[in-house]
Amino acid sequence: MARGFSRQQIGVTGAMIDSYGDLIFQLSHNMQTRRGDPIRTLDFEGIEASRDELGMSDGQIAARVGLSEPQVMYIRNMMERRNFNSRHYHRLLELGGGKRFREERFTDHTERFHYHDDAIALREAMAFAPDRARHYSEQGWWADDTLSGWLARHVSQRPEAAAIIQGDLVINYADLGDRVDRLAGGLHGLGLGQGDVIAVQLPNIAEYLISYLAIARLGGVMTTLYMPHREREFETLLTHSRARALICLSDAGGFPAAETALGLKLPKLQSVIAIGPVASAVPGAVAFEDLANGTASANKLNLPLPVAADPFLLLYTSGTTASPKAVPHNSHTMLGNARLGAGEHLLTADDVILSAPPFGHLFALYSFHLALYTGAANLLLATFTPPDLARVVEDGRATALFTAPAHMAACLGMGLFDKHDWSSLSLAVLSGSAVPGDMARAVAVKMPNCAMTQLWGMTETQGGLYCRPGDGIDIASRSAGRPAPGVEARISDEGELQVRGSMLFPSYFDNPGANEAAFTDDGWFRSGDLAARDAIGNIAITGRIKDIINRGGVKYNPREIEDLLDGHPDIAQSAIVPMPDDVLGERACCFAVATDKNLDLNQVCAYLLEKGIAKTKLPERLVLMDEMPMTPTRKIIKGRLVLPEI
Amino acid sequence: MEIDAEDAKKTILDYCLRKGALAAGVADLAALERIAPPGHRPSDLMPKIKSVISLGVGGQTQGAWSVPAKAMGYFGSTETRAYTIAYGAAFLIESRYQTPAIYCPPDMDNEKGPRVPLQSLKLHAEVAGIGARSLAGDILLHPEFGYMYFASIFTELELPPDQPMETNPCPAPSCVAMYRQIGRTPCQKFCPVQCLSGSIDEDGKQAEMHYDMAACAEMSQQYEAVPAMLSEAMAAEDAQGREDALFDPDNKMLWYKMSVGSGGLLAQCFECMRVCPIATKAPLADPIRRSIAKEGV
Ligand code: SF4
Ligand code: SF4
Repeated sequence: MARGFSRQQIGVTGAMIDSYGDLIFQLSHNMQTRRGDPIRTLDFEGIEASRDELGMSDGQIAARVGLSEPQVMYIRNMMERRNFNSRHYHRLLELGGGKRFREERFTDHTERFHYHDDAIALREAMAFAPDRARHYSEQGWWADDTLSGWLARHVSQRPEAAAIIQGDLVINYADLGDRVDRLAGGLHGLGLGQGDVIAVQLPNIAEYLISYLAIARLGGVMTTLYMPHREREFETLLTHSRARALICLSDAGGFPAAETALGLKLPKLQSVIAIGPVASAVPGAVAFEDLANGTASANKLNLPLPVAADPFLLLYTSGTTASPKAVPHNSHTMLGNARLGAGEHLLTADDVILSAPPFGHLFALYSFHLALYTGAANLLLATFTPPDLARVVEDGRATALFTAPAHMAACLGMGLFDKHDWSSLSLAVLSGSAVPGDMARAVAVKMPNCAMTQLWGMTETQGGLYCRPGDGIDIASRSAGRPAPGVEARISDEGELQVRGSMLFPSYFDNPGANEAAFTDDGWFRSGDLAARDAIGNIAITGRIKDIINRGGVKYNPREIEDLLDGHPDIAQSAIVPMPDDVLGERACCFAVATDKNLDLNQVCAYLLEKGIAKTKLPERLVLMDEMPMTPTRKIIKGRLVLPEI
Repeated sequence: MEIDAEDAKKTILDYCLRKGALAAGVADLAALERIAPPGHRPSDLMPKIKSVISLGVGGQTQGAWSVPAKAMGYFGSTETRAYTIAYGAAFLIESRYQTPAIYCPPDMDNEKGPRVPLQSLKLHAEVAGIGARSLAGDILLHPEFGYMYFASIFTELELPPDQPMETNPCPAPSCVAMYRQIGRTPCQKFCPVQCLSGSIDEDGKQAEMHYDMAACAEMSQQYEAVPAMLSEAMAAEDAQGREDALFDPDNKMLWYKMSVGSGGLLAQCFECMRVCPIATKAPLADPIRRSIAKEGV
């Protein structure tokens, strides 16, 4: 409408707007040019001569172009609308009060950073139940924790304190902060940034932790690959995680990790960053050293700091299922749990914390999270062997050890508690698999001043249940203690341990089927572990729900039989798994690593009968193995036990 | 009734100054009638008009220049003081001289849309000699009072006109020096939407001034954004797109501004004036210095 008339009444068409619109816009006051100062000087000739440049009224334009005034008015208003740039307003928000606009320094909002689709998809997976989120926040379990924030706190408050100790190398917090800042700057230089997934396959060396912190500083997401992973796992996990970069060794004990990753030609993998003396010789790879020693600085580049709700870890479960599930975590779940746990484990800035399992495993990262929260030192053991562990504890004067039961059993078996000085330890946290009570008690005897504790956790939960240092070996040898702060635990009618709490992952990434199976209707996480709670609330893990053997309707947990077999003089390790049976549905098969290669099923059954085991629970087949497939935390991977053809 | 035009002019202008105007003058009506385009001439509004009186009040306080740009718009409402004085002056003329007078509506022309004013208060002030066009999009500047807001009174009382200012204070010597170095004056360099350009001649006078008024309006005058947001919402593909178009924080702010008639909705961004030595540093532009000069402190 113009002056109350419609477009049709004044005869304006789309063609007319297209034809004359630009001319009208230019002639109007929207674009003004003044030559000299004709109005102030009342130079009427000059004013008339420059009228079209000074900006004409609609009537003047109408006369000039040969349209009616209502037509010009209509077309001008439409052109103002079409040319309108609503984004100009956003510049205003960044200006003034001392800040001055500089054209060359301004990036249009549309050209600024935005999360790419993969990052958004991962962020979509961070969906928490609203009532839970509010509760955790109100309780203070979720706060503004970030790895970068914790690191910055120690850099400013205790710059000289040791952060990482690896043999003779001691990196203090100031130095660590500097290295992280430069590596994050270097990664940024490779085009990596917020929301990008960066995979790491490294032994427990300083570069692992520096990389982890740099990825976190960048706002990226670390996903971990275990050292034994080879081409097949690389392809599966790097593809599923949508990793944009991989940090790995150029030569992982004969395995050319960097070269292998590059050879896969994964479309999303932009960069492979190699560590090692021959790193620069890997064609196509970037040498870690070059990034770490570069001049780029995340802080000087003013890269935005991550926030607690940002996902920063994407871990693949160490469970025994065939297809791995990706567990995303943010700082709320991970670091809140560590912050609340530090006091429970009685850890302080004076501690020297050592993890025997690899950092690729969340239990090991938990030890690092605790160290970074408290400002303790991280004592590193690159790769576990029993003698190396004993030596590093002794040399590094470790005060807290995070370890798997199998690690301790091996040290015990090799007499390393007698050969080395373990007296610096005041805390040992055992996790990763069932803790044999006898072994725990035996180790406790060897370290009378060290509190032995058990922890139950999963990739989905980090520290879920644990014994407290004052509990004593009686409780620690038979249970995983009580829920961590912020955690609730219940045991279902089927005996399954179910948990919920501020530490719980929100959902598996890109795996709806797994999500459906993982949570109860009321939002509790099904751990898949069988558990029992004692009178004072300590929870013992008694087996895996899927390990339960259903022999013709008689269901039993094979754990008690495995525990008995582990005490058999000729058996080093055992695992009982169901084998399909046409008549009974399932029967039990025992896999064992035996010192006596002639051990047979009858001997095993006789031993078990002697121990009072019912006949219906006896294994009905024995398979002898040279070694068991193990997780990094030394847990037998039952899913990989394949029945040989008879 | 015999009216001494000179005396009446003095009485009216003194009234304006006493009520808070920094400067006031009478514009040459014949000149205005020639310069203003048809439909926007003073006589289009008041057929028997004889005189146009223009007055200017002080712009920003000295402190205002240091607030962020997003808040500067709210300081613009000082112009209402100018309107109040003009309103009072119109009453004074009618009551004292029994001659019709109006306070000139500063608003946009209903028929032509929000970029076309009924009357150019700028033109009145310039011809009345209380401001000269600057390189900053023709914003008027005064050598003593810097940047002002203007109001006009139309009357059928005939008053002797003043002359436009003899010299233009813009560009200031420091601006000429900067222009010689980088080819731009401060206002041109710091306009966030780069809507100002132009040149200075060898004598240090304005040669050309280019002003993209559309871009300047987009910076802070958001009326076009409201229908744009609605049409975006209508064109959105899904519910999330519609929700964003109507309720994202920027757009929701527009609704808010509309509903409260916020001053920030119709303002300048003021960056060109913030860096202008005349707007901020003319001898009496700064209310603090002005009061010191007045009180003789
Ligand atoms: S008000 Fe802002 S956008 Fe307009 S000319 Fe001045 S600096 Fe440029
Ligand atoms: S900064 Fe002020 S004085 Fe300098 S050129 Fe621009 S408007 Fe003129």
